[in-house]
This record gives sequence, C-alpha cells and structure tokens, in this order.
Amino acid sequence: MEQSLPTIISASSPTLGARLTAPETQGAAAELGRLAAGLGFAALYGLALGARSGGMSLAQHALAASAGLAAVATLGIPALFVLLALVNAPVSPLAMVSAGARSLASAGFVLAGLAPSAALLSVTIESPDAAAFVTRAGLTLAGGIGLYQLTSAVRAMLKELAPALRLKCNALLFAFCVFAIMLAARVWHTLPILKGVA
Amino acid sequence: MNTEVLQVFDELLRSPRAVAERSRAGGDLRPLFLAALSALVLGAGVFGATLATSRGGLQLLYSGVKLPLAMLATMLLVVPAFHAIAAGLGRPLAFSGMIGLTLAAAGRGALVLVALSPVIWLSFDRGLSYHPGVLLAAGCYALAGLAALDLVLRGVGFDARGFAIVSLFAGVLLTTGGQAAWMLRPFLGRPSDASVPFLRHRESSFWDALQRSSLSSVGVYRATRRVSSAAEEGLTTPRGEVPDESR
Repeated sequence: MEQSLPTIISASSPTLGARLTAPETQGAAAELGRLAAGLGFAALYGLALGARSGGMSLAQHALAASAGLAAVATLGIPALFVLLALVNAPVSPLAMVSAGARSLASAGFVLAGLAPSAALLSVTIESPDAAAFVTRAGLTLAGGIGLYQLTSAVRAMLKELAPALRLKCNALLFAFCVFAIMLAARVWHTLPILKGVA
Repeated sequence: MNTEVLQVFDELLRSPRAVAERSRAGGDLRPLFLAALSALVLGAGVFGATLATSRGGLQLLYSGVKLPLAMLATMLLVVPAFHAIAAGLGRPLAFSGMIGLTLAAAGRGALVLVALSPVIWLSFDRGLSYHPGVLLAAGCYALAGLAALDLVLRGVGFDARGFAIVSLFAGVLLTTGGQAAWMLRPFLGRPSDASVPFLRHRESSFWDALQRSSLSSVGVYRATRRVSSAAEEGLTTPRGEVPDESR
C-alpha cells in the first residue's frame, strides 16, 4: 500500500484547529480559554440548527448545543478526576483540565465545522424526523471525536502504571464515557429540532 | 502558468499522490485551484447535460449549469467539516491546503463523471427508463466519489487514522452533497412534465427520494398524500398508488 506522510504544520504558525487540539498542557487560563472556545464553537452548530425555525429558536439551539458540552465539563470531568485519584492514578488537576479542555474544544470545533452543512440540511429538509436524524448524526460525530480526544489524553497519563491499576483506570474511563454519552444526550435532547419541532 | 495548469490536470488523473503532496506543501496553489476548478466545471457540466439527454431541450442547458453549481456549493459547505474532523482526529492541515485537497478531489471526481457520460448517454438512448436512470446516475456519482476520496486519503495519510477521517468526511459529504443536488433538481426531468422547470419546489429530502427511487425501480410504488386527490382524478395505478417522479 502506498504510504503517504501525515501533514507537518509549521510550529510557528499552527492552525486554529491544531491549537485547539494540541496535546500539550498549557496554563490554567489558557486551558479555560480553550474550553470557552469549544463551547462558543458548539453554539455555531446550534445557530445553524435554529435557522430551521429562526427567531428565538436560534438562541435556544445555540444554548442547548453548548450546554451538552458544558454539562460534561462541569459534571463529568471533575467526577472522573476524583475517581481516578481514589485509585491512585497519576493525574493532576491541571492535566485533567487540559484533557477536558482539549476534548471539548475538539468536539466544539467539529460542531462548528459541521455548522454550514447543518444549516443547509436543517433549513431544506422538510421531514422533522429526517432533520432530527441528521442533527443527531452531527452531535454523535462531534461527541465521539471529543471522547476520543479525552480518552487518548487520559490513557497517555496511565502509560506507566502497573497492569492491574491500569485496568481499574480503564474501567473507570469506560464508565465515564457511558456517563458522558448519557449526560450529553440528556441535555441535547432539549434541542427543539430533536423533538420534531419544525 | 498554462503549462503548469495542464500539468496539474494530468496529475489529477494519473498521480493523486503528487496532487495531495502539492496541496499539503502549501506555496502557490493557484495552478492547482485553476486546474481543479476547470475540471470540476467542465466535468460536472458535461455529465449534467448528458443526464438531461433523457429529456432533451432546455433541460440540457439547465442540468449542465446546475450540476457544477451543486458540486461547488457542496465543496464550500463541507471544507470546514473536513478541516475540523481532521484536526479533531489529530491530523490538522492548513486550511488553504485543505481547500486545495478538496477542490482537487472534486475535480478528479468530475473527470470520472466525464468518462462515465457515454455510458449514461447510451443507456438512455437504448431506452433506459426514468427510475433505473436515477439509480444509474447514483452509481456513477458513487464511482466518482471513490476516485475523489482516494485523493483525499492520500492527503490526510494512508493509514487507519486517515481512513477514519476520510470515512467520517465521506458521510458528511454524501449527506450535504445529496441534499444540495436535491435542492437544485431536476437534472433528468420528470417525464410527465409538460415544461422544464429550472428548479422544482421544496419537497421531502434526498434520502427519502433515493429510497423511493430504489423501490420504484423494482416496481414498488409508495403511496403518498396525493393518493386521495389523484384517485379523484383517476390518475392512480391499478393498485391505487401514485408513481413518484420527483427527481
């Protein structure tokens, strides 16, 4: 199979996407900025969905789209840190904030990238069921990428652990993923477009 | 400049790897943009007009204009998603390179459509009916899409992560492109229409239509809301169903 090298981006001018998803841990303020950027980007997807009905629906969708990610950030990630600390996993609060920020920024960035397509689809598809389906697909894609980033970051912290402890941590991480999916789905379920509102 | 454009045109067909590397390297991407855009407009235009040979007349012009428009609109809509998915999965590319790569892929796909145009023309000339024609066109788009995605794959990296990025991007592309084309239909022209409309009114969605065409091509017509009114006018099939010819 023909091998193609991955793209190398100049360190002096990384793209916005590269900055948002960079694995390096930065200061707390920078990480919070990254997190806020992710939430802001997610709101763009919400705006695109809200274009189906217009008016107040724009704000409702923008808020709900960001709220799903914000809920995971505020309710899920601190809980994961506490549980990992309980089993003596070598995770620091800043490293966990960084992993969470990177994960949410990735999910938000993907949602923002999907926003132009979502705007076309939500405005032009007549059937409420089909509109809800493509909305769910977008949220699933972005949420999946966010979870992938988070689990990659946390698993990198666990590389040096003894197998038994690593197994415990991976089980906790798996439980967190299930919880995060359910939580985000619960919050995103408040999106009017998912309730079949035309 | 012209020589370089012609060289890129050739590379689009023969050497997707070279085109992918050219996109990733950055620098002066104008020859690539020009060659890919020309391929896209020409290729999609020829294919669109060929699709319309089943109907003829003004439809030839309309389809020849609308298919390149649909492809360009799709490109504009999906590039941000491609950029974000690649970054989210750890392969951030420069945005200009991403545009170059996507445009080159679309151009390559359009050239494949040109190659498939004679098959479409011959099929309609030999009497291929409307619904199987729609499915044949969908098959041609699928082949062109594969050729395009092959180029994209070389751009993001020929490995498991590259496959994941391209697969997810393909899902976005298919959904968006299908709907964009649906909005600009008809491309073939409804056989029962007395005149040729440039655009049809908003109705249903691309996926509903593809499902209906698949069923219709094997003789299964789904009942629609128009049944009652059609029945009053005596327009239903012997089974009391209304054939849908909305593509």
